[in-house]
Amino acid sequence: MRAVIAEDSILLREGVTRVLSDAGVEVVGACDTAEELLVKVRTHTPDIAIVDIRLPPTHGDEGMRAAAEIRARHPTVGVLVLSQYVEVGLAMKLLADSAEGAGYLLKDRISDVKEFVAAVERVAGGGSAIDPIIVSTLLAKRRNDDVLMELTPREREVLELMAEGRSNQGIADLLVITLRSVEKYVSTIFDKLGLPSGATDSRRVLAVLLYLRS
Amino acid sequence: MVTGSPGVRRSAAADRGPRGPLIWALGLAGCVAAASSFAYALESDVVSGQLGEPFVVAFLVNWNTAAYVLCGLLAWSRRPESRFGLLLVAAGFANFLSTLSWTTSSVLYTFGQALDFLPPILFLHVFLAFPTGRLETRLERGIVVTGYTAAISLELLRMGVGGFGPRNLLEVAPSAEIGLWALRAQLLVVGCLCLAGVGMLAVKRRRRGPSLRRTHALLVDAFALGLVMIAVLFFVIAFGGPAVLHIRWATLATIGLAPLAFIVALLHERLARSSLGGLFVDLHGDPEPFELRDALARALRDPSLTLAYWLPDFQSYVDLDGRKTELPVESGRGVTLIDRSGARVAALGHDAALEDEPELLEAVTAAAGIALENARLHAELHARLEELRGSRLRLVAAGQRERQRLERNLHDGAQQRLIALSLELSILEQELDHDPALARRLASARDEIASSLEELREVSRGLHPAVVSGHGLEVALEQLAARAAVPVRLLVTVRERLPETLEVAAYYLVSESLANVGKYAAATSASVEVVRRADDVLVEIVDDGVGGADESRGSGLRGLADRVEALGGKLRVWSPSGGGTRVRAEIPCVP
Repeated sequence: MRAVIAEDSILLREGVTRVLSDAGVEVVGACDTAEELLVKVRTHTPDIAIVDIRLPPTHGDEGMRAAAEIRARHPTVGVLVLSQYVEVGLAMKLLADSAEGAGYLLKDRISDVKEFVAAVERVAGGGSAIDPIIVSTLLAKRRNDDVLMELTPREREVLELMAEGRSNQGIADLLVITLRSVEKYVSTIFDKLGLPSGATDSRRVLAVLLYLRS
Repeated sequence: MVTGSPGVRRSAAADRGPRGPLIWALGLAGCVAAASSFAYALESDVVSGQLGEPFVVAFLVNWNTAAYVLCGLLAWSRRPESRFGLLLVAAGFANFLSTLSWTTSSVLYTFGQALDFLPPILFLHVFLAFPTGRLETRLERGIVVTGYTAAISLELLRMGVGGFGPRNLLEVAPSAEIGLWALRAQLLVVGCLCLAGVGMLAVKRRRRGPSLRRTHALLVDAFALGLVMIAVLFFVIAFGGPAVLHIRWATLATIGLAPLAFIVALLHERLARSSLGGLFVDLHGDPEPFELRDALARALRDPSLTLAYWLPDFQSYVDLDGRKTELPVESGRGVTLIDRSGARVAALGHDAALEDEPELLEAVTAAAGIALENARLHAELHARLEELRGSRLRLVAAGQRERQRLERNLHDGAQQRLIALSLELSILEQELDHDPALARRLASARDEIASSLEELREVSRGLHPAVVSGHGLEVALEQLAARAAVPVRLLVTVRERLPETLEVAAYYLVSESLANVGKYAAATSASVEVVRRADDVLVEIVDDGVGGADESRGSGLRGLADRVEALGGKLRVWSPSGGGTRVRAEIPCVP
């Protein structure tokens, strides 16, 4: 797997490069501006671009715009946006109409190396990685929702992990239950929410997020 | 004391101009000159031979001498600083000198004849120099100088080639042909210059437009008519046209009209003094400061009148709303400074023609003294408010910049370092999987770092909402709405980015209001609306809770009101007991 990194803090750029290299990811480019990032993505067509949301010169929305541009022009390149603030509005803006190959994580998540590498691999493989804070914020917002109240605690757990972009196998591993039971939970949840089941991992991410956001 | 710049006059006339005896002496000299010239005319063979009916010619020519001298003296005594009066006097005496050719003395004849064409050019000069006595454009100066040169030099040439009889002392080599051509050239040149003068007067009149007051329009028309008649007369003589005699009389009479028009204008000015009565009535009714200008404009009959108030603390003139303004010194308008007890109060910008009526200006400004002082205080209050508003806005902006800088420092410094540290610990932890106890301690250290980061994030958000600056209000408000204690309906109809201070103020307003909803309102739902309107932004937060909120309940809302007001906006809170709470801010935003 090949990755490109845009991060203006040299400490973190090197840290991420090291963590990914140790995990066997080939970091083909590391830079600190959105412009360079776009050039590197064009030249290398990596599997994933890891983008700091706040990049020079204004530290405004440069990273976000670069992420959107990569998603529009290079559909095969996964985009993982890292930020020190995670916001529902920004998550929805990044996903737009597809969660495929898209990730949005709090920067702190880097330090949980195993989880971080797993998220990078998911996004690079066309899956999604949505920060748990986004999912929990949306769930908190809908806490009075009758349909969500009907979910059992276990079903809510599965719903959250699903919304973060995890595969059924990933959920099974985390909750230490069988794949079969995860599948059962997923189909019950979809029934209760009235969503069409049988979607791919990243399609169901968007479906769940949109459901929670509405 | 006040120093007046060029074109600026003070309302208290400092010097009273030429002394009485000088005026009387000149006046007497003018009358004697006219009378003696009248006497030569009746005897003169030149007049009866060339100019026709001696009595009529003598009367018309000397009427001009006397009228120009006397009117000039009147104008000079009234407005000593203007050279117009002196110019009129000079024209009168030059007119007299040219009539010396009617005498029997050869020396006087030669002198008078040499000046024969001088009066028309002097009239042209007088008319173009109205009302200041100065020729203002290069073109005007060019016309007049060409006129003097042609009038004198061609006359000397003609006298040199003879044809004037035995009294001409300048005859050198007689040549009737050259004399005839020189005469034609002289007539045509002077005639054309007069027509050019008419053009200049028309341009001046058009440029002054409706602000030109009626009496002055009458004067300018009289001048133009005189110049046209001179041109017609000279063309008729040059081309041998008919009725030269009568045209000459008409021309002389028309030129004599100009001083009459001048007298009419002066009389009108005296009559106008009665408009002061109206001003007193207006002032008696304690006019609002904004009505004062109109009252003065009516009294001075100058609809273009402007008023500027002097603020010594600001060392500048301002309008009634306290906005800085310049005196119209350069634009050819008159400026009158108004002082009261030695201190500058205001300045009037008015039609330059009003400078011919110093008494009227003085009377009006004196009558309006107290009202002007009141209006000046009004203007000063506004200027100070404006200044305060500006400094408040700058304070808010400076505070925001400083907080933004701190947020950046935290983000780029402590936060990044803590994440890197946590990452380092995580790598260590992986390498230490043979020592579970140590790994556990590392994991707990990482948890500590995670909590610190969480706290730092809250601090950062309180310092400056980076999301707002980076991504706009709509995105940032979605998070606030999602995190609120009650379901929030969010409606943002702002498509473009707004000024950052405004976005940040709106963000904190929503943030604080939603926090209050969670803390005090016991509401079941709330709504947030941000609407871009023509020239402001409306931010409204409404909940269906218990109401009864007041600004004293949290310093938060008071601080927000300050911030909104500093941006020139208004913040209002309705919170009837049991009726929910509505916080509504309107913040100006001119595109």
